[in-house]
Amino acid sequence: MELEIDSTEDFGLEAYRSLFEEVMFDIGKLPTIEKARVSLNPHVPLFIFSVRFKSATADKTIGDIANVRTDEGNAHITVTDERYAPNILEELWRRYGRNAVTQQTRFDIDVAGAIGKEVEDIVISSGEDNAREMLGALWRSMPEGIKNRHTYIGGRVITVVATEELLLPEMLEAGLKVHEAMGGGS
Amino acid sequence: MFKVMMYDGGVYRSDELYELIEDVGGVVLQKTRSSQMLTVTMSVPEEDAQLVEALCLEIGGEVRQVPLAGTEIAVVGPTLGRHHMPHPICDIAEQLRKYGAITVVMGLARGRGKDTAQINLEERLIIEEYDAAIFSLGNFKTCIEAKADLFKDVRIPVILTSGPMPEGMEEHCEAVIPGVGRKVSRMRSPEERAKLAEIADAVEEVLGHRRKAIEEDPLFVHPGEIKALLEDYEPVDMCLRPAPIVMHLDGLRVKVPYAEHAGVIADMTVYGRRLGDVCRITPSKISDSSILIRIKTVAEIEYEDARGDAA
Repeated sequence: MELEIDSTEDFGLEAYRSLFEEVMFDIGKLPTIEKARVSLNPHVPLFIFSVRFKSATADKTIGDIANVRTDEGNAHITVTDERYAPNILEELWRRYGRNAVTQQTRFDIDVAGAIGKEVEDIVISSGEDNAREMLGALWRSMPEGIKNRHTYIGGRVITVVATEELLLPEMLEAGLKVHEAMGGGS
Repeated sequence: MFKVMMYDGGVYRSDELYELIEDVGGVVLQKTRSSQMLTVTMSVPEEDAQLVEALCLEIGGEVRQVPLAGTEIAVVGPTLGRHHMPHPICDIAEQLRKYGAITVVMGLARGRGKDTAQINLEERLIIEEYDAAIFSLGNFKTCIEAKADLFKDVRIPVILTSGPMPEGMEEHCEAVIPGVGRKVSRMRSPEERAKLAEIADAVEEVLGHRRKAIEEDPLFVHPGEIKALLEDYEPVDMCLRPAPIVMHLDGLRVKVPYAEHAGVIADMTVYGRRLGDVCRITPSKISDSSILIRIKTVAEIEYEDARGDAA
């Protein structure tokens, strides 16, 4: 992840660099971010946090994050991105029942009586979920006192503009500028 | 001068330890038994400390220094939100407990924000029930300086921890420890552990000044002696709350309801006087379920006696 950060205070700049990375790492979003831009101005106060995803936040299917093959009437799944393993298990249990799903190792799951193609198309995380989780992560990264927020979402970019009391037009304008510079549409 | 230390060992021959503490005129501040293991926090006269330490070693235990034993300290964050809790507030509280203090962690109702942060009278009075308060603020100098309003009127020693070093705080708090700030993970690195030790050392120093001030005009009775008295009072003895009696530098907190027990406690006798006459007994501001006992100084008692005689 490429992180650009500017601040009116040196200590805050360095502190928020590690804080932002830690929060994104904690919620497992670090690998999905291509670029992030954070602007910190505690004097106003005005905080602008913007992230650009590596790919559009489309629905994720099991086929996107696992290899699936069918053998003797059973589907065998090899998970390639372990972050989604709980979602895969949850969805398989819901569809085929716990008795039909066997997790052999951390990465290998067998589903009795399932067809590979059908399993591949199962949606395990919607694009909307992804955007919502990212929004939560941005709010968590921001200082708590700045409760007045406006969010721009467009293309692969999410930008949050936040202040403590009134969100003035010039603040929104500054946020929109960052959003557009990151490649976000309206 | 009394020295506070902790025995950490087994229950074997612990009776001898209690007897020796009593013989030298010391008091047991806190006693925690878990199966066959025992920790005893005690306050003994400095000149007899070596004797007590020798016995602790002889009966197979260890002696640890707990400079903050017998104190109750509040660690205060701007709010209870996830931005301010649990790190680093809980790490600071944990470090203080290692130094022997009883700690509480508090969040203010409206402590967030630079221009909107505020503390109300009730919150301030609750904080003032403790021996000292540590305010843990964030990463921006402007915000920290603006938030001095949160603690400038607090009438107990305040230690401020923050990210950058704020300016103009000398009048509002006893010590400032920069280099902490807002964190989203535990303080585990060697530098961070050293910072926690620095905070605890600062608290120790600040409370050391307070102890010396109390010694200049000593309390009528040591809080430990009132603790011993209260331990024989059945509702306190039967109380299931953790640490039903918490010692302060100038008194105690007793975790039984004020309305039911204040009268009985006030009528207890210490050195031939009613406890209610030598202490200020008030309900805790947190709730009615705790009683605060503030011991009057010898000078206060003498003044009241003189005034009584004159009348």
